[in-house]
Amino acid sequence: MRVTERLFRQGIVASVLVIGCLIWAAGSGEAKNFKPRKSRDVAERVDRLITKDLQESEVTIAPSVSDEDFLRRVTFDLTGTLPTPRDITLFGLDPHPKKRARAIDRLIASQEFGANWARYWRDVIFSRATDVRSRMMIDVFERWMTSQLNEGASWDQITRELLTATGNVRESGETALVFAHQGQPEEIAAETSRIFLGIQIQCANCHDHPTDEWKREQFHQLAAFFPRIRVRRVRDSMPRTFEVVSFNRPDSANPRAGVGQFRQNPEKLMRLLDQNNDGKLTQDEVKKRKRLSRVFKRLLKIGDTNNDMGLTVAELKKLPPPNVNRRAYSEYFMPNLDDPTSKGTRIDPVFFVAGQTPEVGLTDEARREQLSQYITSRDNPWFAKAFVNRMWAELLGEGFTMPVDDMGPERDVAFEAVFDALSEGFVGSGYDVKWLIRTIVNTEAYQRQIRPVDSVGDGDQFAAAIPTRLRSDQLFNALFRVLGVGEPKGRSPRRRGYFGRGGPRAAFALLFGYDPSTPQSDLTGTVPQALFLMNSPVINNRVKAKGNTPLAKLLRDYSDDEDVLAELYLLVLAREPSENELKICSEHIAATENRGAAFEDILWSLINSTEFRTKR
Amino acid sequence: MKLFHHQAVGVSRRGFSRRSFLQTVSASAAAAGVLSFRDVMSLQAEELRRQGMSMILLWMAGGPSHLETFDPKPEAENGGPTEAIDTSVPGIQIANGWEKTAGAMQDIALIRSMTNKEGNHRRATYQLHTGYVPSGSVKHPALASNIAREIGNLDGALPSFVRVGAARNNRIGAGFLGVDYEPFAVQQAGKLPQNVAAGVPHPRYNTRLGLLNRLEDEFAARGGKTNVADHRKIYKKASKLVLTPDVKAFDLSNEPDEVTQAYGDTNFGRGCLLARRLVETGVTFVEVTQGGWDTHQDNFERVKNNAAQVDPAFAALIHDLKQRGMLEKTLVLWTGEFGRTPRINARTGRDHYPRAFNAAIAGGGIQGGQVIGSTSDDGGRVEETPVTVPDLLQTVCRSLNVQADKENMSPLGRPMKIVDGGTVVDQLFA
Repeated sequence: MRVTERLFRQGIVASVLVIGCLIWAAGSGEAKNFKPRKSRDVAERVDRLITKDLQESEVTIAPSVSDEDFLRRVTFDLTGTLPTPRDITLFGLDPHPKKRARAIDRLIASQEFGANWARYWRDVIFSRATDVRSRMMIDVFERWMTSQLNEGASWDQITRELLTATGNVRESGETALVFAHQGQPEEIAAETSRIFLGIQIQCANCHDHPTDEWKREQFHQLAAFFPRIRVRRVRDSMPRTFEVVSFNRPDSANPRAGVGQFRQNPEKLMRLLDQNNDGKLTQDEVKKRKRLSRVFKRLLKIGDTNNDMGLTVAELKKLPPPNVNRRAYSEYFMPNLDDPTSKGTRIDPVFFVAGQTPEVGLTDEARREQLSQYITSRDNPWFAKAFVNRMWAELLGEGFTMPVDDMGPERDVAFEAVFDALSEGFVGSGYDVKWLIRTIVNTEAYQRQIRPVDSVGDGDQFAAAIPTRLRSDQLFNALFRVLGVGEPKGRSPRRRGYFGRGGPRAAFALLFGYDPSTPQSDLTGTVPQALFLMNSPVINNRVKAKGNTPLAKLLRDYSDDEDVLAELYLLVLAREPSENELKICSEHIAATENRGAAFEDILWSLINSTEFRTKR
Repeated sequence: MKLFHHQAVGVSRRGFSRRSFLQTVSASAAAAGVLSFRDVMSLQAEELRRQGMSMILLWMAGGPSHLETFDPKPEAENGGPTEAIDTSVPGIQIANGWEKTAGAMQDIALIRSMTNKEGNHRRATYQLHTGYVPSGSVKHPALASNIAREIGNLDGALPSFVRVGAARNNRIGAGFLGVDYEPFAVQQAGKLPQNVAAGVPHPRYNTRLGLLNRLEDEFAARGGKTNVADHRKIYKKASKLVLTPDVKAFDLSNEPDEVTQAYGDTNFGRGCLLARRLVETGVTFVEVTQGGWDTHQDNFERVKNNAAQVDPAFAALIHDLKQRGMLEKTLVLWTGEFGRTPRINARTGRDHYPRAFNAAIAGGGIQGGQVIGSTSDDGGRVEETPVTVPDLLQTVCRSLNVQADKENMSPLGRPMKIVDGGTVVDQLFA
């Protein structure tokens, strides 16, 4: 990321101010005034600020993108696919001065908007899942998230649902985050902070955070909001399913809780309980110890080596170490790193950002509800900023601070004022997802051309568009459109066919999927991806010039080769070919005896081109 | 002075170019300045030795019962119907069903004292493959990817890390090491991997590549230069794989009958044969998976069935490598993610048991015919020389001359050792 020294200094001052304000706001109990603002006004403000800054640094700003490039870009970003040749033509011919804003509104209102962004969030959550079984609910999450987004659910509502979810994972899409980590408090805490706050507090799992100010204890205080979640299999379910439930039984009622004392001091236990002084403990002797008596039978089974129905000190000492499973407790214990088999230190929940502390011993439901309020509070700047930075980065190829899920208080921030303007606007809109996306794609900053990299100087961030790699679903939609193949409706997970389980989209994602929190600069293609696009039978069959393929139809409809080329470019790359491209293709056609074969080669090349898999 | 594999001589098992060897040596000598010619030569010799090393991991997915493989306890109450059989090494007994492996015991060392804490398939599989427990924040590279990076030949036409017939829960790859060290997955040994055969005859495929290359210039000039350059790099690698005659290593049809018969007419047998062929062609790491070890029910029947597939293949692989003079340079490791409970459950199965399990290791400088560690009479407790996962991986690194404490920088800016903690099981090299 390129950040000038000036911006860097501004960034530091601004972060100090932000933290200052936050403390002030929390202290005085008075919220900042976040006025609802018009999307257009904020977009204009953003452009004014960026333009001013770039002009001051004497950076040349790239011109506005052409209509056809704009339509391809915004169609991919809002609905996850290519515009059709018809869309492109109509859009080019539309004389309306506000046609771009109108196209944006139309795309945001379409059903594909929700599906596209739901898939984005599916990848955000499931790319980091620590349990593969969670894949069973991917479709359920996708459907749930699609309807949330299409119905205009705000980001704080969605966040709250994800954090407080309970229920059957095959019915409740909102259980995704919890189920992806099998209800493990540490993992859920880490992901909650990473996704909703853009802070990698889990670096403080074992030690204080290496670069930020967070202390180890603060991470575990966050995890202490989640110790009462349980994920369990729904009995006799077919197909197999799981449910996320709350576990509010106090620790004293937990049968495993008493096991630890045996190891700690068997001699003392013997002195206290061995009433007949025969050197061994029996079920009868421990019956007054409620917890102990409950587990005694099991201990006998494990440790009573001479089968005399009693346990001697020696036998007690030989007992295997207790299965220290902190999941057995309904409060949270921070592991002791020097003695991992011990129970650890009990930690009560505190929200690290501003130190809010709920009552001790709350139920699971109340704890998670409380946390979601702390997180989504207007006084918590990280919540809005994490979302704004993420959306901006996804749409423009680079965020104000990167990576999007590791912002932290001490990172460099580019265009701080722009970041603030958007974040405040987003809060003012009531965390309206569509408002934010509409605002960003209406900016000139979003609608700039890409330009040759050679001319890139220092500090020209947001002066030109960056070509970025399409996500798996976007590429899949584009590819299947180009090949004229429909996606089978209604997925059956058991179906085995050409693409195996989960249908073609899921199989495609195995090859082309990536974690969308990864910075674009860290993404690369892979050899199997290239092999698939070059050689897979599904592609080679559908680039054929015979039968009912899109190419065969074009060749039948147009006798002029240049017409076919123009249509082919529109279909695959959503633009007209350049003079030079027409020349190269015509030469190829002339050099190839068979017209159909020549066009097959051209279509194959376009599908395998960098441009096809890139948002430009 | 530090030499990296790609700066060192381009050498494969088929030999190396003398000219490039001398060029590299003189360049290094000049760069080093203070080193004498002899010093440089000995450094190069070390490099050459590393370059020839490779590894085959025989992955027993599901967690093989140690009691029915290499640590039988016929006397124990829960020993089940399993019997102990003699091996080619006096004093070492293994479970029945492994007769062929028993015959190769002089080349195989057994570790009966593997111990760990992870009893969940995915977590334990991840840990055995990477040396780290899973975490949401970082994708650790597989040890195999690290090995490929440290000693693999990046310029080879075949990928340096090939995974044959992996289980669904094993998609552990290069993590933050990047695309060059990702495993190349082969679903089924014996066939050319998916999409490696060109969709059209090679001359036309080449024509297409040429056309693609010309058409790419336009986008590169418009602002996609970096993207096009990356894309071309991947396509070059992929098309090299499509066009190389080395892909015939994937084709087992020319192997003599007696060889294929010895490995066994099974997926695992073909996988092992493929592994030998790939290593011979210059692949650094091959992982071959046999599933079906998660024997919660009918443990004894199912283990017998698995052993019938794994036993001949394992023995044939050792034999074959040895006969070809490759065993010294090829480390073979047989293990799974954990062992099974000594207790036999109500469905005559055994459940997950990470506290004690076993591994068999051969080649790569390992002294065969010995046993490391032991378990209690019921197989439930490690009694001598516990070997942890990091210990095992340290040992692997020692064998392959990979520097285990080398640190890679994770994306979050945290340095991570190739293997964190653990000590080499020295006795294996004795």
